[in-house]
Amino acid sequence: MDIVVRAILAFVFVLVLTRVMGRRELSSMQPFDLILLIVLGDLIQQGVTQSDYSFTGLLLTGGTFALLTVVVSYVVFRFRRLRSVFEAEPLVLVEDGKIIEGNLRRERMTPEEVAAEARLQQIPSLEGVRWAVLESNGKISFIPR
Amino acid sequence: MADLPDHLDLARHRDHAGTAEIVARRVVFALLTALAIAALLTAFGQSPQHSIAAGERAELDVSAPSRVRGGLFFQGRFTIEARGAVENATLVLARGWLESMHINTIEPAPTEEASRDGNLALSFGPLAAGDRFVVYMQFQVNPTNVGRRSADVELYDGDELLVRTDRAITVFP
Repeated sequence: MDIVVRAILAFVFVLVLTRVMGRRELSSMQPFDLILLIVLGDLIQQGVTQSDYSFTGLLLTGGTFALLTVVVSYVVFRFRRLRSVFEAEPLVLVEDGKIIEGNLRRERMTPEEVAAEARLQQIPSLEGVRWAVLESNGKISFIPR
Repeated sequence: MADLPDHLDLARHRDHAGTAEIVARRVVFALLTALAIAALLTAFGQSPQHSIAAGERAELDVSAPSRVRGGLFFQGRFTIEARGAVENATLVLARGWLESMHINTIEPAPTEEASRDGNLALSFGPLAAGDRFVVYMQFQVNPTNVGRRSADVELYDGDELLVRTDRAITVFP
């Protein structure tokens, strides 16, 4: 029983952690972020399975994680009001070519990062952007003027 | 705003009306910081804690962590300073030392092991006045062991109680 309880607690902890870390950290896969995520996965595994090397342990923890993932996904789909608890809301970063500084600060982003993302989408200047929105998955969508 | 992309609402997605996300984030970060600071201050183990009990015929110094975490190894050191002759020095450990704990080694090995009212009694034989006798015990916490239990240690001479230290051990999951 305790292995399922540990899996549930770990799932909730990871959910909270990913929500508070912010979107950009999760979507930008710099080498450091990648290593950090792998280390985090290893730490979580140790805390959940501990010294249990059994196949039953795998079934219980894997099953619990899969079940909780579906439950969260259903809750997000079914209950609109709870959506913002589990998923970050889109955030407007640029309006009419003007950067909204407060929203950038909120996501610990610099104007240079937004401009770099724009260049990746063949937009040479933020002047030509009507809207730039930081989406729930951490990617920025640009809508030209 | 006519050209606002579908499903976006300026009040909500630009001005954050009705969202408490930033407050929730700060609260969680404050909690994580508090946890890390508490851990640095050894709130979750496992630096050793000394308990000293002195009597007319002996002094007992117990050094062991009072907070441990599942799966970790730790040491208990029991130092007996004999102030008078002790015929059969016997340490009696409460169940917190034993319940879901692996005892990897006891050095030196006791001459006799017994159960005394559910506790573990380890006898080490005679000590002369002025003797200093140290027992090392190495433990490992069973990963499923959680909770707080008595970890009292009593020093007997046979059946006569000489000194007692009141301790507890807390096992974090």
